[in-house]
Amino acid sequence: MIHSVRNIRRRAEHETEVTVEMPENSLASLTQLISTDGAIQEENRQNSIREVFHNLKHRRAVELTPSQQFGIYLHIPFCFHKCHYCDFYSIVDTKDRQRAFAERLEQEIRAAREWLAQPVQTIFVGGGTPTLLAADLWRNLLTTLADSLPLAPQLEFTVEANPETVTAELAGVLAAGGVNRVSIGAQSFDPAHLKTLERQHEPANVARSMDRFRHAGIHDLNLDLIFGVPGQSLEDWRADLESAIALKPTHLSCYGLTYEPNTALTRRKTMGRVTPIDDSIEADMYEHTIARLSEAGYEHYEISAWARPGHRCQHNLLYWTNADWWPFGPSASGHLNGLRWKNVPRLTEYLDHGPLPRVQDVEFVDPAARSGEALMMGLRLRDGIPGERLERILTEAPNVASSRRAAIDRLVAQGSLEWRDGSLRLSDRGLLIADSVLVELI
Amino acid sequence: MPIRNFSIIAHIDHGKSTLADRLLQATKAVADRDSREQLLDAMDLERERGITIKASAVTVYHECDGERYQLNFIDTPGHVDFAYEVSRALTACEGALLVVDSTQGVEAQTVANAYLAVENNLELIPVVNKIDLPAADPERVAMEIESVLGLPAEDCIYCSAKTGEGVVELLDAICRILPPPREPVTDKTRALIFDSHYDDYRGVIVYFRLFDGSLKVGDKIRMMGTGRTFTISEMGRYTPTPTKVNSLGPAEVGYLIASIKTLEDVRVGDTITLERDQADEPLPGYKEPQQMVFCDFYPATVTADTGKRGDYEDLRDAIERLHINDASFTYEPQHSDALGFGFRCGFLGLLHMDIVQERLEREGGLEIVQTAPTVSYQVEMSDGSMLEIHNPSDLPDLSKIKAIHEPIVKVEVICPNENIGDLMKLCDARRGVYKGQRYVSDTRQILDYELPLAEIIYDFYDKLKSMTRGYGTMDYEVIGYRPDRLSKVSILINGQPVEALSLICHRDYAEQRSRIILKKLKEQIDRHQFEIPLQAAIGGKVIARESIKAVRKNVTAKCYGGDITRKRKLLEKQKEGKKRMKSVGNVNIPQEAFMAVLDQGE
Repeated sequence: MIHSVRNIRRRAEHETEVTVEMPENSLASLTQLISTDGAIQEENRQNSIREVFHNLKHRRAVELTPSQQFGIYLHIPFCFHKCHYCDFYSIVDTKDRQRAFAERLEQEIRAAREWLAQPVQTIFVGGGTPTLLAADLWRNLLTTLADSLPLAPQLEFTVEANPETVTAELAGVLAAGGVNRVSIGAQSFDPAHLKTLERQHEPANVARSMDRFRHAGIHDLNLDLIFGVPGQSLEDWRADLESAIALKPTHLSCYGLTYEPNTALTRRKTMGRVTPIDDSIEADMYEHTIARLSEAGYEHYEISAWARPGHRCQHNLLYWTNADWWPFGPSASGHLNGLRWKNVPRLTEYLDHGPLPRVQDVEFVDPAARSGEALMMGLRLRDGIPGERLERILTEAPNVASSRRAAIDRLVAQGSLEWRDGSLRLSDRGLLIADSVLVELI
Repeated sequence: MPIRNFSIIAHIDHGKSTLADRLLQATKAVADRDSREQLLDAMDLERERGITIKASAVTVYHECDGERYQLNFIDTPGHVDFAYEVSRALTACEGALLVVDSTQGVEAQTVANAYLAVENNLELIPVVNKIDLPAADPERVAMEIESVLGLPAEDCIYCSAKTGEGVVELLDAICRILPPPREPVTDKTRALIFDSHYDDYRGVIVYFRLFDGSLKVGDKIRMMGTGRTFTISEMGRYTPTPTKVNSLGPAEVGYLIASIKTLEDVRVGDTITLERDQADEPLPGYKEPQQMVFCDFYPATVTADTGKRGDYEDLRDAIERLHINDASFTYEPQHSDALGFGFRCGFLGLLHMDIVQERLEREGGLEIVQTAPTVSYQVEMSDGSMLEIHNPSDLPDLSKIKAIHEPIVKVEVICPNENIGDLMKLCDARRGVYKGQRYVSDTRQILDYELPLAEIIYDFYDKLKSMTRGYGTMDYEVIGYRPDRLSKVSILINGQPVEALSLICHRDYAEQRSRIILKKLKEQIDRHQFEIPLQAAIGGKVIARESIKAVRKNVTAKCYGGDITRKRKLLEKQKEGKKRMKSVGNVNIPQEAFMAVLDQGE
């Protein structure tokens, strides 16, 4: 049955009435309502997630209940230097708005309480540089989290750390407040490559910060590494990887350097000041990483993630399995049952509008896109997508199901995808060209 | 009343239209407040480009030496692409004002137009214009006119169309110096059509010059070339507003309307006679317009599903509408593997092509993809027959071809002395044949060359302009076809020939051109999971090759919560892009690759 929803789309010059035809009570209709109608998006820009939910509930009778696996993400936007490859929202704050920010963040957490009946299984604090936040502010923040939200007993609580900023005091505060996992941005152990990335830390500080966390009782430690830095040789990368393995982290994230749009590094590339390394060297680096970490006892469980058995990052798995998470802090993104949104990114605007922040990029993802996302994210996992889940994903988008099935068969025949233990996954060959494979499935 | 029929000829931007308007004002034909900037150029486009595309005629009156003269001013197109139309307009006159900018001097089109006027036995009055400007050097320019064109420097009239200085003297000179029209040679009516245009409300408006006999409203007329007959419903002259008259007699100039639906029925150069009392023979000089330059037009937007571009119908409408106004370009439907459905169009020359494209975009509100121009080739077959082709892919099997003939143009370049060496190098590199050089003044020279038209239709003019820092000017005229060692070069991608990319070029330049094309393809085609060979071949022989390396790593390293939507949209976009690509031999070729190759500049 078709029925129409009438909306007024406001334009600067004149007003026109727009009628949107859409099937009743389908999620697709909501997507159209939200993402194709400029007026509503404009409205959302002004509103908090509370109004968005209210609209969904009352206009479309949609309940947004989190999935069983549920986590929260907190964004701390401060950095003392903007790294040249980074496209996350961060500011080098000279006005010392840290205290105001921390208090505002606590206010936001308390205000979101009513929405979060589900036990929180994972917390991830990213940035920016979370460890730049002063220890006393951390103490308050951790108390607020524990007091306001229903935390699961097996909570995984990760904080991102910059090796330069970890003091023994801070490590102690974090551990005492329930943090049980730390992700350290090591990136490289070679001063020359750290300089290319504009990272301002001494390689030796990585080991020192790990010691401090371990001493405080946090043993689940991840190291972030980047390979494919301009000027880096395969030998350089091998050495970096050996340095990392020697530090015995429980988890390793090894990222091929990405030239993100709107970063200083990309501008330098465009101007010809840095030359990306040849993709065949990068492929060699990646293949070496896979072989060497396997030998060192790490399981390769996602394109860029390796873990000791039992130490996979539960929070990141929420992303890769299309589960739900709630965002806190400026520019943080959230997902709830097909609804995606992002808190406003500007610190000033975040500080000025509460208790729940204004949101933007609100999108109710339609079933076809949703199932595309599930394929795109699920195939990042080395275990792949279990057969019955794949079936559910495919039937969620009936229009494209048959063409997707045909593409899967073709890619399996070509050897880019493979079935293993009842799951569909990227083959070793397909892994290196995952984007070319995924484009066929989206 | 004595009559003087005249034209104004000039190089572009030397002030022809401004002078025309000033003449109208000086004869009180136009009140100051009515004078739009340039009254005779009807179209916005013409005004913007400062050139006159369509001629029209204006009748004014001037008193000189106690006598009142009827002056018929016949406007001419300013560019040699319209050489034939210019020559017909000139045939309708007895004299011409040769206008030269006193800050610029004699330029290539000044010379070409002056020769055209002399060939048509016109009396020339040299006019040195823009003398109000600080940089004006009228004496030097008058000397140039004398040395290049042999018109005595002291005969030059100095004037400023802008301020009006010298304009009355000029009007007097028109009356005194230009010869009166010739006497009729027969009592049967003969009128030369020198222009026509299409009016949305009244149909075709025909501009004519009577040589013999007369015409009146109600007459049934016959076009001697096309054989079509019409009945005159309105006749008149522009003064410059249309003024209806009942009849016009020998030597007079005017317009007529006769329920003519399409410009195809009215050919410039054709002779009008009376149906009931036909002339024995038409006035001499009628020719069919000859299209020399060809290119494809495609709508710029694509609908992926049908392969038919969404705006194809709009483009067809726009072309048909424009063709009513300009019958001198040709069009036929075209389908390109790469670009979908569009039209192959033929033009009198490069400027004509640009004008048509701009008018289609402007008047039709369309965005158009235009392929690089090619020329029309005459293919001499082994059995002796001749075949005209406008598209490399139409070339028959090489074994059946005896020779390929290409159009040759005579080029005149006027440039500063110091650039002569570079320009000769440029012409030589373009297979030019040196014909001579002459001095215009002690600082500038005329360089004469014969060149294949194919060599000047892309970037020759741009190169000339940049070499001479804008001071060089050129003009060309097609003088015929000549055979040369021309070959068809096929482009193969992953072993498969791609017809839309084939080209005809001279054997000696084939390798060089092919390498440029393959390089562009290499830049435009994404790397695939396998290596892609790119080859250029003549017959079965590969003359150039390149290869696109296989991609080894293409994987997004980071994909977390905030990246998902963006990443999905990126993949969707890539997928959409792939849909629009043309797949040849397992290789996806983006439209940009075709465009890059068809855009032949280096």
